[in-house]
Amino acid sequence: MTTAAIEFREVTKVYRQRWRGLEVPALTKASFSVGPGEVCAFLGPNGAGKTTSINLLMGFFFADFGEIRVMGYPPGDIRAKAQIGFLPENFAFYKYLNAERLLRFHYALAGGQAAAAEPLIADLLAKVKLTEYRKLKIGKYSRGMVQRVGLAQALLKDPQLLVLDEPTSGLDPTGRKDVRELISGLKTAGKSIFLSSHLLSEVEQVCDRVIIISKGRVVESGKMEELLGNSDRVEILVTSLPEEMRVRVTEWGGSVAAGEHGVSVVVDLGHKREFAEAVWAAGHDVLRIRPLRGSLEELYLKTVGNESGVA
Amino acid sequence: MKLWTLAASTLESFLHNRLIVVLLLVGIGIILMMMIPLLGARAKITGSNQAMMESVVLEAISEVVSFMSGLGSLLAAWAATDSLVSELKAGTVLAVMARPVKRWEFLLGKYAGVLLLMAGYAAMMIGVTYLLAWLGGQHIHANPLVLFAYPLVRYAIYAAMAMLLATVFGSVMSMVCVMGIAIVNLMVQPGAPEWKPKLMWLKAGLYYVLPSTNLLSEERFLSLRQAALKPTTWMEHGTSLLYGLDYALVILLLAMWSFQARTLRRD
Repeated sequence: MTTAAIEFREVTKVYRQRWRGLEVPALTKASFSVGPGEVCAFLGPNGAGKTTSINLLMGFFFADFGEIRVMGYPPGDIRAKAQIGFLPENFAFYKYLNAERLLRFHYALAGGQAAAAEPLIADLLAKVKLTEYRKLKIGKYSRGMVQRVGLAQALLKDPQLLVLDEPTSGLDPTGRKDVRELISGLKTAGKSIFLSSHLLSEVEQVCDRVIIISKGRVVESGKMEELLGNSDRVEILVTSLPEEMRVRVTEWGGSVAAGEHGVSVVVDLGHKREFAEAVWAAGHDVLRIRPLRGSLEELYLKTVGNESGVA
Repeated sequence: MKLWTLAASTLESFLHNRLIVVLLLVGIGIILMMMIPLLGARAKITGSNQAMMESVVLEAISEVVSFMSGLGSLLAAWAATDSLVSELKAGTVLAVMARPVKRWEFLLGKYAGVLLLMAGYAAMMIGVTYLLAWLGGQHIHANPLVLFAYPLVRYAIYAAMAMLLATVFGSVMSMVCVMGIAIVNLMVQPGAPEWKPKLMWLKAGLYYVLPSTNLLSEERFLSLRQAALKPTTWMEHGTSLLYGLDYALVILLLAMWSFQARTLRRD
């Protein structure tokens, strides 16, 4: 049996302020798992328990009840931490260090040999496009650059599991695209990735699994394709549609809707080719074909409703 | 290796810490100011007032050394508190503790960084003491190693105490507690004003619980005249220093235990 990268079993965490007698439940019997090689999106409104869960799995907080395993070990165990690359939300750093020295520091803490550090650091800085600024003190970096150096430190020592809390925070569209590509590359390399983000459209593009948390409870969890529906229907956007084609679509059980950019036709996957060829044969044009399934945003809004902090 | 990495990074962070640098600069400024009466007294030594002026010189040197010693204790406590609290406040602790570093290793690395800073301070203090004695036309008979080891052990105790408090409180509260402990400590040491008879049990209790800073004072050996120097064997030095180190170790272990159970988050 393969060990799950992350496993939460009935985990409960309550924040207590003893002197005020306050008890705020942050997580209630949360159970989920992330398999090896999976890219998992961890979603929820602000205050839902995402950062608490991440802090628990990193061993920064202690659960009141339940069990957590990370790479098969309890949270905080150095055997687990040796396999994790972690990017905290709003990555904090020693402002007087430059990127090179910060990575060297983290590499030494990870138990790396100094001789092997230099080429790896140069490679990582190139990957996050900071080579040019490697000698500049991080205190002078923009927020996006700090996030990039944070990502580079998370990738040190080739971790098997990446825990990324808002990795695209502060990045411009190009930076976000770079991160998306980086995550896709890591996914191809078989790494497990646990990703907390509010940018649902980006998450949808790279993740295999989704966990949605709300008010400390896991309200939805599963594989992306299962949650968003199988794409057994397609939407075909055409410039215009002859009447006889409209009738055929209706006979197939499909639907036709005229829109601003053309006519949108929904048909079964089995009729896709036949329909497209018929459109072309009639001298019209196909503008777009896309599998019809729910978006992550729709699922998210359906699941957590209009709670404050919705992305 | 990890401990050294943490210690070196802690030491470097002190050199970028404005408050610590200001504290050191203020200390240096005050020492320079205190040297004025010393040099003045020396210049005024003549055949007729030699004995009196020499005692003034000795008094001035003793004052400077006491001041530096006290400043050192304050610096040790502040550096230890800040080394931990600033990591928690900035959130840098999260990325560090995500590495395969045990919590006790992190705390020990920080503590080692503080001791490195204080070793530098103690060395500087010896230099100033010898410089003052030379300027005052005097000669120090105590072994420099003794003058280095005693304050360092005392600083180790204050640093451990501050670190223990910093695992629970913020920096200001920790410093207030350390200073409170230091004041109470002075009140229970031999030679301090008498307590009310009803409270003698408390004084005795505190005397045994709090570190004996009198015993660990280098000023015991800072006699400038050979005749006044009480001969101390290396065995006696060893016992006194071991007492201080043991005290610091116990407090440090308590700090590690407290830090083990602490939640780590950006404060």
